[in-house]
Amino acid sequence: MNSQPLMLLRLTTSPTEEVGATPHGTLSIFPVTGGSFEGERLRGKVLAGGGDWVTGKADETLELDLRVTLETDDGALIYMTFTGLRDDAHHYFRTLPRFETAASKYAFLNRLLAVGIGEIRTEGPVHIIEEIL
Amino acid sequence: MNTRLLMMLHVNVTTPQNVGAVPHGTRRIAPISGGVFEGTRLRGTVLPGGSADWLLLRADDVLEMDLRVTLRTHDGALISMRSFGLRHGPPDVIAAIGRGEPVNPATYYFRTTPRFQTAHPAYGFLNRLVAVASGDRRAEGPIYTIHELL
Repeated sequence: MNSQPLMLLRLTTSPTEEVGATPHGTLSIFPVTGGSFEGERLRGKVLAGGGDWVTGKADETLELDLRVTLETDDGALIYMTFTGLRDDAHHYFRTLPRFETAASKYAFLNRLLAVGIGEIRTEGPVHIIEEIL
Repeated sequence: MNTRLLMMLHVNVTTPQNVGAVPHGTRRIAPISGGVFEGTRLRGTVLPGGSADWLLLRADDVLEMDLRVTLRTHDGALISMRSFGLRHGPPDVIAAIGRGEPVNPATYYFRTTPRFQTAHPAYGFLNRLVAVASGDRRAEGPIYTIHELL
């Protein structure tokens, strides 16, 4: 499969909301307070108000479910979501981002699928996102 | 993006159920009557019950695909696969696909992102991976080349 870089996404989060043991697993909510994204075709900041709903499963992997709003440097809003899988035992942290926007300049985002490689750094989560060609 | 071939999946699509214009677009459901999959680590058949692709043609002419299939391996394990996908391309290419004509898959975008669930320990690795696939729509149904995202 071929891919090309789409953006580097950096998130800042506030303290985790530990919901605890639910019927599906252990739910932790990571509120997103901001961040930035940068790529050749788009750059800007992450708006506060999103989050990652993370469910710890019986096999000790984490199921990710993120929603954030991106604001480009020229004022367009992009709704971004991803589902994903984090398996710390195997150093595997991969996501499947999707995008929705009404801005015609960024409409190409509505028509692509993407994959992300996540990392937890001291300053917060970082996602290297590539478009699937 | 580093990937490794996981399997080839052929599904057989039967007569679509045309739900029609819904608030999000045009909804069509393509039931799946069977199929086969084969890779170095798993192979078997597609079960017909509960396997279908829930299709939504959006206002921007992008087809959203929401595939759910149950796979049965040659040694009896059941694997639930779900994948979200997008398909779009030049109008004449999409029209040819609609007529069931053979079309070069390089002329349109048909990509999906499969995830798997299984309770069988021999296939537990599938629970812990994310995959990407490219599709090739044939008259009898799509052929998916599925790669594990490494």
